[in-house]
Amino acid sequence: MRGRTILLTVANLLIPVAILVFATGFFPYKPFIPGLAEYEEIGNYAYKFGKAPDAPFNKLVFMVVDALRSDFVFGEHSGFRFTQSLIRSGTAIPFTAHATSPTITMPRVKAITTGSIPSFLDVILNFAESDTTSTLATQDTWLAQLKAMEGGKLVMYGDDTWLKLFPDFFERADGTSSFFVSDFTEVDDNVTRHVPEELLNSDWNAMIMHYLGLDHIGHKAGPNSPNMLPKQIEMDGIVQQIYEAIENEEHLSRTLFVLAGDHGMNDGGNHGGSAPGETSPALVFMSPKLKQITEGTDGYRCPTTPKADFDYYTKIEQSDIAPTLAGLLGFPVPRNNLGVFIPEFLHFWADGSDRIQLLLRNAKQILTIVKATFPAHNFKDKVQEMNCEGSLSSGEELSCKWQNVVQALETAAALHPKMRMDIIYSFCRTAQDIMSSTTSNYNVSRLILGTALAFLSFTLTMLSIRSKLSSISSTGIFYTLILLLYGILMFASSYVEEEQHFWYWSASAWFAYLFIAESRKEWFSKWVFHPAVMLLIVTRTLRRWNQTGQKHAGAPDIAHSTFLLHPLVLWSLVGAVYLDITIRLSRHIARSVMDPKKSREEKGYAELESGEGDRFVGMLAVFPLGATAFVFKLGFTAKDAPELVKGVNGGLFYWVGDLGLVGVARMVFVGLALSASWLVISEWRRTKMVKKGKESGGDLAVALFDLLSLFLITQTRAQNIPVYLLFRMQIFFLTLLNLTPTQITITTLLLTQTSFFALGNSNAISSIDLSNSYNGISGYNISAVGLLVFMSNWAGPVYWAIVGVLLLSGHPSSTPLYRDRYFDEQEIKEEVKDWVKEEREHLNEMLEKEVQRGREKGKKGDWEEHVALLTLWMGAGLGAVMCACTVLRTHLFIWTVFSPKFLFAMAWGVAYHLGVSVGLGGGIWWVGGW
Amino acid sequence: MSSTTTITKAPKTRPPAAPINILDNDTAKLYTHIHPILVLSLYAFQFKSIVADPVPALLRTLIPLSVLQIAYVAICLPPTGSNATPVAPPKPGQKKKPVPGKLESGIQGKIIPAFLSLLLSTLAATPVLTITLILFGAPIATHHAHTLLCAAHISLLATLPLIYVHGVEGEKWREIVALLLPIDEVYGAMIGAVLGAWLGAVPIPLDWDREWQKWPVTIVTGAYTGFAVGKLVGGTLLKGKKISFE
Repeated sequence: MRGRTILLTVANLLIPVAILVFATGFFPYKPFIPGLAEYEEIGNYAYKFGKAPDAPFNKLVFMVVDALRSDFVFGEHSGFRFTQSLIRSGTAIPFTAHATSPTITMPRVKAITTGSIPSFLDVILNFAESDTTSTLATQDTWLAQLKAMEGGKLVMYGDDTWLKLFPDFFERADGTSSFFVSDFTEVDDNVTRHVPEELLNSDWNAMIMHYLGLDHIGHKAGPNSPNMLPKQIEMDGIVQQIYEAIENEEHLSRTLFVLAGDHGMNDGGNHGGSAPGETSPALVFMSPKLKQITEGTDGYRCPTTPKADFDYYTKIEQSDIAPTLAGLLGFPVPRNNLGVFIPEFLHFWADGSDRIQLLLRNAKQILTIVKATFPAHNFKDKVQEMNCEGSLSSGEELSCKWQNVVQALETAAALHPKMRMDIIYSFCRTAQDIMSSTTSNYNVSRLILGTALAFLSFTLTMLSIRSKLSSISSTGIFYTLILLLYGILMFASSYVEEEQHFWYWSASAWFAYLFIAESRKEWFSKWVFHPAVMLLIVTRTLRRWNQTGQKHAGAPDIAHSTFLLHPLVLWSLVGAVYLDITIRLSRHIARSVMDPKKSREEKGYAELESGEGDRFVGMLAVFPLGATAFVFKLGFTAKDAPELVKGVNGGLFYWVGDLGLVGVARMVFVGLALSASWLVISEWRRTKMVKKGKESGGDLAVALFDLLSLFLITQTRAQNIPVYLLFRMQIFFLTLLNLTPTQITITTLLLTQTSFFALGNSNAISSIDLSNSYNGISGYNISAVGLLVFMSNWAGPVYWAIVGVLLLSGHPSSTPLYRDRYFDEQEIKEEVKDWVKEEREHLNEMLEKEVQRGREKGKKGDWEEHVALLTLWMGAGLGAVMCACTVLRTHLFIWTVFSPKFLFAMAWGVAYHLGVSVGLGGGIWWVGGW
Repeated sequence: MSSTTTITKAPKTRPPAAPINILDNDTAKLYTHIHPILVLSLYAFQFKSIVADPVPALLRTLIPLSVLQIAYVAICLPPTGSNATPVAPPKPGQKKKPVPGKLESGIQGKIIPAFLSLLLSTLAATPVLTITLILFGAPIATHHAHTLLCAAHISLLATLPLIYVHGVEGEKWREIVALLLPIDEVYGAMIGAVLGAWLGAVPIPLDWDREWQKWPVTIVTGAYTGFAVGKLVGGTLLKGKKISFE
């Protein structure tokens, strides 16, 4: 017994270790070069350079429009009429700036400002924004360079991601945060209102604006939303305002104006992955001075049609923006840059030697990173013999390309500047490709070690339950089969994207299995109403609730059906959920307020069920909590998705508005905490007072679960809340089935997974719901926000993990009705006919048995086995995901499908399995034994 | 247990069910092996048109499939009641199956039960299977004809021979559903067809972009394959074995 526990503990501890080791190999921490770049001695070559070339611009207006996809600006149906006229006239140069996955704002801002290609780790940091490793305060960016220039002052308006990335950088700033996606206007007005006054100020040398409204429209209603065109016209108006100021104001005459999207959006209006729509934001450089470099060329047609999906004009990398700005504004290229100066702008310098110098500085800066990455290779600055034939490794190839650069520079012959430039470009582009391709960055030995550790955890768990393994049962076979199949499917990219299908598929099979297994024991003549059949029906309904995955995202489902979204229907159902939970809680409070001592004195025995008066007190105590939680949900939805509360009395919102949603949410959370502590204290007092013989029967565990579910409901979007009614039904039908502990564990496993997907989650980063992450939080607090994000996305699994524990410990989590059915001793002693007495005694006996059965369930061994089976699953599942990521690390979809899956597996393994399933579940199990 | 459901305990006195043996003549012994080949060939022959346009093609295929199945049960299987094991007398009010009179010719005594089985499997089993398919994830708002036809195919494959050999007695069907009967080629074919249909759902989400991944082609394919495999294994390797859940 001891040995088993130790094995299991070690297996569980190995899970985070395996994840950590694997993650450090999979998302290697890229060493970055600290400090600000400075103009350095360019080196002594046969080809001679003058001093650093003069910059054509001295000021920068950088306007980011979030999710500005290329076709929004360049397409036929664009609202950017003025911008398009600039492109036609040659005073604006358009590009499509390729954004690498993950296409979410923070990594994109990093790429734009540093010129580096942010690692996937930034996705996590995007949600943990205040993390110090993610700020760019100490990194070399064009913002730092501009600030370091003489008289450099920066101003910033818009998305506060910038303020978090660049703390204390800005002279004047006004950050807006995107709490509510339904906010299309205020987020943008907050930026626009500063524009006229800043255009008159002459003290800044860079103004950054970041508009969020267009992204919000996308998230809310997709790229074809009727709000899209007016928003584009609004943005175009701001472009016109700024451009005209540059034309007219003397102090802005040498200003470069850049309009850029940080990423695009897919047809659903979401982003995060690497579909063409998501990775193709627009980029436009504007200035009257650009006329001088476009004059000789054919110019640009605009609007136009893309070459391929969203591929308009020249396609550049997003990281190319940084070195281009460096050249155009006259500062050294940021140190960690992997971007390459955009060739179109070289025409600003008439002299070939200036152009070459500019490029060479860019190349030398990239070379320092290349040297750091390939320390074993030869990047000497002198002509030498090299073997550049045959197939070369990445390092060798770069080494040869650099040698070509050196040779081109050491040739004093009258080479056309174009030829030298081509050679430098060839080096830079190859370096960019190689350094940004991730294959060279994996630490394969760590990947293998991490995978091995996961399988070690699996093996240890196997050892801990080896006594169980010898007996083969159909339940065991089912478990093994789905475990095996799950492991295999983790290697199929489409099954990672559509993982929900696997779970729905195996859950239906499981309920069918339960139906057959029960039918073998006893036959329900009304088999249509068999609990297992009812479970199948409820599961089918849940399956339809939210369409997730890639293929069918946006297909009709219940959560978006016009029926459910009719405010009356939706809020009746939501209200029913809140009412149910409030009544449940009031019973728990009623139980806690009654005085067992008193009732013992009055009636001569300790009554366990509360009386009328107690119930009234309970309701009185709990009602404010339930009502506040409901009002919060209503008020929150009014801001987050106003279309869902149409027709709801506006008076309600007045007092929510007065308090503020943060205040109301805090009231709910404090209420929950107070209720929980009250229940724990009173339960503790009761266990002292009531003799050991009468156990509490796990009422506290059930009470804590009900409190937890109210918290989870608070963290759930309104249109998903009715799902909790279905969950209740599932619990009810499960208690009707007489499940063995192993069957309970498997049911828990399947329902945690199906509920995760039924609530609208998937293995895509774009599906993470952030709307409930700031409930009750006014500032930024990483652990609180992290907890809320986890709880709102894993609400279903958390709920079911605890239900599993309650089922396992034999506390029916629906109210313990059986107590009411007891006949007390007095009643039996009463003078009644003999057969009535006998009948009553018989009924009592039967109930005793039922309770006994409940007690038998709550054995310690069951808990260990429960944890063992779940750990076994986690170890195997993690091992499979890691193995798939290792084997398929060069797969085309590694960054779009497999890495997000690994991120989700991390959350499942650490936060869910250790934190909730074992940690919280263990707590509830322990409390249930009081 | 819930008060809304009543439970009938299985009578303990029933004799243990014996596996179904195919009729003891050369035609039956030969045809029972030819039959799955014919069924699979029929499906293979129709496969292209089913992929191209499932509804009419599946509907068309039902006719030759029922002919083949009727031929199979009539040639190879003992009709209900003629089996070695005695069958409990029908309860009052229960649908009576015509028992072939002694004077009727053998052909008639087989053909009529075969057609009755066809009727019952189409009218009774198909709706139940359609609902089962939907519960297991078949499209609920669209593709109704597809799902119905898919269920019809499964019920012809799986339930027609079962009805023919076991009749419609409730207790028997309880045993069938609860997997309590010993395995024989008819029972094996049913289990195979149902498992095959279930496993047939696996390739649907894969991103292979094949035409045959569409609903319900893989399910029907799985059912046909499962039918043939189950029939073969049930009639040979696992014959007479009982399924244990413990």
